[in-house]
Amino acid sequence: MDQSRVQALRRTICGIALTVLLTAPAWAQRRDRPHRSGLWAELGAGPGRVRIACSGCTDVVVASAPSSYFRIGGTVSDRVLIGVEVFSSLDRAFGFSRGDTTTTAETATATVVVLWFPSRRGFFFKGGVGLAAGQFTVPGTAGVDTSNGGGIGLTFGFGWDFAISRKFAITTNLAAHVTAVGDVVLPGQRIDDVIATMYQGSIGFSFR
Amino acid sequence: MTAPLLAVLMAVQFDSVPKPRTVMAIGQVALINTFVNRVDAWVFKQDWARSGTRVWGEHLRLGWEWDEDAFTTNMFAHPYHGGLYFNAARANGIGFFQAVPYAIMGSWTWEYFGEKYRPSLNDWYMTSFGGITLGEVFHRITATIRDNRATGRGRTLRELAALPMDPIGSLNRLVRGQWRARGANPPEHDPGSYVLRIGAGARFAKGLIADSGAARMGAMLVDLLYGDPFTTEYRSPFDQFGVRLMLSSNGGFSSLRASGRIYGTNLNNPARTARHVLAVNTRYDFFKNRAQSVGGQSVEIGINSRWPIGSRGYAFRTSLFVDGILLGAIDASGTGLGTRTYDFGPGGGARWEFAVDRHGARFVRVFGQWEYIHAVSGASADHIVDFSGIEANIPIGRGFGIAAHSTVFHRISRYSTAPKDERNYPEARLLLTWTKAGFKP
Repeated sequence: MDQSRVQALRRTICGIALTVLLTAPAWAQRRDRPHRSGLWAELGAGPGRVRIACSGCTDVVVASAPSSYFRIGGTVSDRVLIGVEVFSSLDRAFGFSRGDTTTTAETATATVVVLWFPSRRGFFFKGGVGLAAGQFTVPGTAGVDTSNGGGIGLTFGFGWDFAISRKFAITTNLAAHVTAVGDVVLPGQRIDDVIATMYQGSIGFSFR
Repeated sequence: MTAPLLAVLMAVQFDSVPKPRTVMAIGQVALINTFVNRVDAWVFKQDWARSGTRVWGEHLRLGWEWDEDAFTTNMFAHPYHGGLYFNAARANGIGFFQAVPYAIMGSWTWEYFGEKYRPSLNDWYMTSFGGITLGEVFHRITATIRDNRATGRGRTLRELAALPMDPIGSLNRLVRGQWRARGANPPEHDPGSYVLRIGAGARFAKGLIADSGAARMGAMLVDLLYGDPFTTEYRSPFDQFGVRLMLSSNGGFSSLRASGRIYGTNLNNPARTARHVLAVNTRYDFFKNRAQSVGGQSVEIGINSRWPIGSRGYAFRTSLFVDGILLGAIDASGTGLGTRTYDFGPGGGARWEFAVDRHGARFVRVFGQWEYIHAVSGASADHIVDFSGIEANIPIGRGFGIAAHSTVFHRISRYSTAPKDERNYPEARLLLTWTKAGFKP
C-alpha cells in the first residue's frame, strides 16, 4: 500500500477515535443532564373531566370542560423540582343535577407542587397542595346569579418531558386536581360542602 | 487499633443505617391496611370493613366526601395511623422526603379500598400530613429511647417503651433480631442538645366544664425539645423539633402539639453572639377538652433569634412565624355536618414567642398565636382563634422546679346563617416539674 495512503488511513482512524472520545462524554453528559435546571416554567392546556360531589348527595355529577395550567419554579436537586402551579377549568354547560346544563362552573387551584423525576428519562410524578376557588353562575332574572367559594386544593399526577432542545420541551401530563370550596348557594338551591375533582390530560410547553 | 476495627465491624454487621428496602416498605404499608381491615371485619365484626370489588368500583366512581367521625378520631387517630405508613418506610431505611409518598399512598389506598364508607377527603389530609409529622417525631423519639448498646432487662424495657409510638419500627426490629443484637446507634439516637420537662399538678379553667365558674382538675404536662435551633445545624428534616403533650383528669388526652424543622439556614454568621436562623416547620396541633376542640396540619416559616446574657448560658430567645393551615378543624356547636360538631377548612396565621432560657431550658415564656380558619365543610363560617399566655418555671434544685402557667384561649366565629359566637377560656396551671437537659454548643 502506498505510504501516503497508509498515513491518510491512520489519520482518519485517529480522527474518528478522537471524535468518539471527545463526543462520547458530551453525549453521555447530554443524556445525564437534568431535565430542568435553574428557573423553569411550563404552560399547557387540555381536555378535562370534572366530577362534583357534595355532602348529602347520593350521586355525583360529571361533565367535560377545557382546562389550562401554568407552573413555574426552581430545582431542589437533579431529580426534584419545586414550584407553584395555577390550574383552572371552565365548564359553560354544567349542572348540579342530571339534565341541567344552565350553570357555568369555573374552578381553579393554586398549589405548591413537587415534581419528582425517578430516572434520567423525562418521566415524572407530581404532587401538590394549596388553595382552591370555585365560581358557579346561573342566568337569573336580573342578569346572572353567582356563588363563589374558596377552600383547599390538591393535585397529583404524572407526566413526561419530551426534549426539543436544551431550553425547550413538550410536556404531557395526566393529573387530578381536587378542590373543596365549601357551600354553593344559588337561587332555589343550596349545595353543601362541594368537592370538585378534575381529571386533566394536557400538553404543555416547558422552558427549562 | 482493635477497638476502632471492632466498632467498624459492629457497625457494618448491625447495619444501623440500612439500605433502603423499597419493596419491603411498600409490602408493609399494604400489610398494615390488610391487617387493620381484616381484624375489624373478622374480630370486631365491623360492617364498614366488609369492602370488596363492588365497593371499590363505587368509590372510584363517586370520589371524595367529608366524613362525620369524632374529633379525636379524625384529628389524632388518623394522624397516628398515617405515622404507621410513614414509619413502615423509615424503618426500612427510606429517608424523610422519600417516605412522604408512603403516608400519602397508604392513606389513599385505605380510603378507597379499606372500608365501605366513601373516601373521606379530611381523612386523607389528616392521615397523610399528620402522619408525616407525628411519624417522624415518633421515629426520632423512639430512636432515643432504644439503645443498641444496652443489654439485659433494661434493653427489653427500652424496646417495649418504644413500641406504642413506633409499632412498625419495633416489629421490624423484632423480626430482624435487633431487640437483642448489639451495635452502633443510628444518628437520630443522639439529638445533641435537648430539654425534657415533665410536670404534674393542678389545672384551673374557667368555662371548661360549666358555662360559669372555675373548675379544678389534675394535669400532667410533657415538653420535649429535641435538638436546638441554634446549636443543631440543619442537616436533615426534624433534626430539631418540639413536642408538648398534656393530659388532664377531666377529659384525658387534652392536647398534643408537635412542630419539626424541615429546612433551616443561618441568617447571620454563626460565630456571632446574637444568632438569627430561618426555619421552615411542619406543625401538628390537637387541642381537645369539653369547651373547645381545635386542630390541624400546618406549614410555618419564620425566624428564631437568640441573644446571650452574660457568660453563664442565659439568653433571650424570640420566635416569629407565619403559617398556612393545610386543613384545620374547629368545633362549631350546633353546626358542623350531620352528627359532626366541628368544621373543616384551610387557613393561616402567625405565632410569636419571647423567652428567657439557660442552655435551652426556658424559665420564662410569653407567647401568642393567632389563626384563621375558613370552613369548607360544616357551617358556612370563618373562625378566628387567639391563644396567648405566660409560663414561668422556677428551679428548686436537682432538676425539680415549680411551674406556673396562665393562658387565654379566645375565639370568634362568624356564621353566614347564625349570630357571631365569641368565647374566652382562661386557664391556669400550677405544676411540680422535673427537667433533664443536655446542651452541646
